[in-house]
Amino acid sequence: MREIVTIQVGDFANYIGSHFWNFQDELLGLAEDDTADPIFKNNCMDMDVLYRTGLSHQGAYTYCPRLISIGSQGSLGTLSSSGSLYGDSSSSDASDTLTWKGAVTKLAEKPHEKNLFLKSLSEEGEDDPNIEDKDRVQCLERDVKFWSDFSKVHFHSKSLYELNGTWTDFQNFDNFGVGKEVLSGGFHMEELNDRLRFFVEECDHVQGIQCMVDDSGGFSGVASEFLENIADDYTNIPVLLYSVRDTFSYTDATNQRKLIARSLHDAVSLSKLSTYSSLIVPVGLPSLGGLAPSLCVRDEKNFHSSAVYASAIHSISAPFRFKPAGPISSTTYAAGSLDIGEIIHILAGQRQNMVAILDVSMPAPSLSVSDKANPGGILNSFHALGTEIGDDSEDLYMDESLIFNGALYSGADRASVSQVKDSICNVYDKGLRPKPRPSHLSISLTPIPIPLPFPSIFPTSTSRRGEILADQPLVGPPKGSLEVESVPVMTRLRSSIAIKPFIESRYNNLLRHGMLRGAKGADLLRDWGFGKDEVDDMGEYLSKMLRIFNPSSEMTSDSD
Amino acid sequence: MSIRVLNPNAEVLNKSAALHMTINAAKGLQDVLKSNLGPKGTIKMLVGGAGDIKLTKDGNTLLKEMQIQNPTAIMIARTAVAQDDSSGDGTTSTVLFIGELMKQSERCIDEGTHPRFLVDGFEIAKRATLEFLEKFKTPVVIGDTPDKEILKMVARTTLRTKLYEVLADQLTDIIVNAVLCIRKPEEAIDLFMVEIMHMRHKFDVDTRLVEGLVLDHGSRHPDMKRRAENCYILTCNVSLEYDKSEINAGFFYSNAEQREKMVAAERRQVDQRVMKIIELKEKVCSGTDKNFVIINQKGIDPPSLDLLARAGIIALRRAKRRNMERLVLACGGEAVNSVDDLTEDCLGWAGLVYEHVLGEEKYTFVEQVKNPLSCTILIKGPNDHTIAQIKDAVRDGLRSVKNTIEDEAVVLGAGAFEVAARKHLLDNVKRTAKGRAQLGVEAFADALLVIPKTLAENSGLDTQDVIVSLQNEHDQGTVAGLNHHTGDPIDPQMEGIFDNYSVKRQIINSGPVIASQLLLVDEVIRAGRNMRKPA
Repeated sequence: MREIVTIQVGDFANYIGSHFWNFQDELLGLAEDDTADPIFKNNCMDMDVLYRTGLSHQGAYTYCPRLISIGSQGSLGTLSSSGSLYGDSSSSDASDTLTWKGAVTKLAEKPHEKNLFLKSLSEEGEDDPNIEDKDRVQCLERDVKFWSDFSKVHFHSKSLYELNGTWTDFQNFDNFGVGKEVLSGGFHMEELNDRLRFFVEECDHVQGIQCMVDDSGGFSGVASEFLENIADDYTNIPVLLYSVRDTFSYTDATNQRKLIARSLHDAVSLSKLSTYSSLIVPVGLPSLGGLAPSLCVRDEKNFHSSAVYASAIHSISAPFRFKPAGPISSTTYAAGSLDIGEIIHILAGQRQNMVAILDVSMPAPSLSVSDKANPGGILNSFHALGTEIGDDSEDLYMDESLIFNGALYSGADRASVSQVKDSICNVYDKGLRPKPRPSHLSISLTPIPIPLPFPSIFPTSTSRRGEILADQPLVGPPKGSLEVESVPVMTRLRSSIAIKPFIESRYNNLLRHGMLRGAKGADLLRDWGFGKDEVDDMGEYLSKMLRIFNPSSEMTSDSD
Repeated sequence: MSIRVLNPNAEVLNKSAALHMTINAAKGLQDVLKSNLGPKGTIKMLVGGAGDIKLTKDGNTLLKEMQIQNPTAIMIARTAVAQDDSSGDGTTSTVLFIGELMKQSERCIDEGTHPRFLVDGFEIAKRATLEFLEKFKTPVVIGDTPDKEILKMVARTTLRTKLYEVLADQLTDIIVNAVLCIRKPEEAIDLFMVEIMHMRHKFDVDTRLVEGLVLDHGSRHPDMKRRAENCYILTCNVSLEYDKSEINAGFFYSNAEQREKMVAAERRQVDQRVMKIIELKEKVCSGTDKNFVIINQKGIDPPSLDLLARAGIIALRRAKRRNMERLVLACGGEAVNSVDDLTEDCLGWAGLVYEHVLGEEKYTFVEQVKNPLSCTILIKGPNDHTIAQIKDAVRDGLRSVKNTIEDEAVVLGAGAFEVAARKHLLDNVKRTAKGRAQLGVEAFADALLVIPKTLAENSGLDTQDVIVSLQNEHDQGTVAGLNHHTGDPIDPQMEGIFDNYSVKRQIINSGPVIASQLLLVDEVIRAGRNMRKPA
């Protein structure tokens, strides 16, 4: 088995992670549920890739995500940082203090109240007949304060880490420098390394680390310090990094100073995070309105937007855990197993590009419909989940990896593996799209299950199996987890020249604000703890990332 | 004012308002930490919104747990935490001292003194106090065999302010022995060579010193021995797992057969490495009752574990980076990065290696080593917050012993130094200062008393009585400190109450610097948020 260790850094990354683990939990639940759709029983996914089996102090077996989640202090809401499974015998009774015989002062924060959904998970209120699932879904739509508010997963006691001692409020924890400083003390780093070691040590053969980083603020600094250590300690383990950001991080800066700080942050963050990872995938749009009409997402809700990103990341991760196939199962339920190292290798391609674009089609259209109505259309239903993406229709060196989860053929009928394959190959064969050379296709017949705490973001015309029904009214209240059981999702990671503008703007900003003589942001970079040499290195690194897109790269790199 | 033109929402506090804002922040922080100080202080139990518990009596930990927002308070907190980073203790004292300096200054400023004079006075007083400290300190002869008693007294003084007496006294021996164990003549003491390991198990008095090392993982093969005596220890950083990513980097295969071959070739390389280790084992162990343990920083995959288990070798993978160094210091031998040229000289030795399992957590004890230069303090506690608190105390204790050895001096505690220094400042230094700077010297001298005052207050004694009787003793020429039980003056030397010289020096040094900076702030500008409102 090839294990994956997951790392989530920062609040929005934890929002996405919360949805991501809800999917896994739902899959686990459905596989054991006899009344569920049989497609989930034979999902041929090996959940041990993401999960670990453990034993609590009370002698009970546990099954928890192999996860480290880093968040700011107080971001866990009602969730205890030591999880609920490894029950601590501690009581918060001040007289139980064993180490001090003198006076004890107890300073207790007001306990967070559990919402209706969380109450239904714990024993309290489970049997309350007056509360229906509808109320639970609605309460989440109304108010989500913490990522834990909609999480139904049990975490290991070593998984959740709160970063204390930052001494800034959330608003000021907004740049690479502050994050870097928090970890520089050494104490946090040692603890994090210990926790990661705990998860890695028990793995027989780690295939890689999947990492989601909230890239919009100080947490990218935290992540880069942590990843640097990982790169030192685990030299051969590939790191697949999603640098995610919420819609709020795109709101306009209020003054020029902030604007400069932000553009420098983006540049530094890209340069540093890509240095210590094997493949970086920027995820996060200023608005998800572009995904309409297939989804109706409220931009101002992180609960909503994170659900879309989590679906895409979940879909990408499916081929990492296909069961090593016997000859039969591979053809009937899934095909195209990959591991993290392989996908990175495919996408790096000849150019050794390491910034990839994530596209998603959710819910993916039915094969027959799109084949007839719009030849090649199935691949036109993709929406990119990153910003500053250019055009790559002329790019001859494009590499891509496509993953289709739970395709529908027509109506509510599921497509078979070969139908999906034919349909997609058709698009290329007919020359409707220039075929990238080593393109990889993974197919899983298991769609993405929609767990109860999933937001209501599906248009009224969506059916139970996530098909868009043509004969339904377009306007109406959005549908959620109670009406939609599962959706087909198609995702694609693409490595092409289209990412050039993204890197270019960051490189130019670093040059303009941080490196040129008299640049306004030079002091700022110094405050963040970067000497001139280090800034120059970052600039050089970014320009190297750009140069690979230049056809005559060899020549230009020599001339300067 | 220009800032108003640029940003009409910006708020500007003028001179006196600015000063009072900073003074209030400093006093506020002082009030929070005040009750921590000394062996009679109050321990704080912090309960989070989700029921998480933290237990602390350490100013440093408390500051880090508090979500401080006020800029002045942050500045003081940073200084105090920096104090802890550099000398390991004195966070609370630093905050108290800065707060008191600000409080004393406030009185003078309200009477019309310009902050500048106070700052000048602080500078004079600081220098004089540091000189006085040089005379006042008690030299300690370290040499090759340090006086264990004095080290114990220093450690005990620190520990008793964090843990109750029985536990503190028990840890005192452990800590002093630990530092003496890792101490190498002519070299700086590296406290990282003391591993602090914890187990959630039974009660806290089970904490003990392991001469050797405790690792927080075990072997990953069911057939490996759980206990072995007379062990050779191979410490290495060699990958013993088949790494597919290496193939990825360079090769492509055109058919399944070729792929198989490639995989087999890769696998063979790993196997060869394992065989070399087994060869060495056979060489040194065959025909004897000796055992062989390999502790690797990199991974070991199941096929390799299998081979090793069949050869009777105990193998641990993914050891902590720092344990590589510790193992070599504890067991001898050297950490190898390649299995070529392995010889017996590379191997360390331990009389006993055994595994201890607690739930899903495994611990491997490497004990009965010869001449260890690294050791482990094993903390046992019934729950996480108790363990965390003991751990903090142990770290502070270790630092205090290290400081004593490096300072080659200690300072009499229980407030004795502060009272003596104040007397010195008022009697000898004040008149040498010019004009109103004298007020600064006086304020500084009075501020020093915050330590004995707070000690008395926390012990439930009458502050003024205590200070007066202490001053009387000093006026008569005897150095006296505070007995926190009775409030009577005592001789700290007799009672064995000693503080670290470097900690005291650091407090005297950094306190006035921050206080001066804060006093000279005459305008506070903040755009965006109303700072008069409580956050």
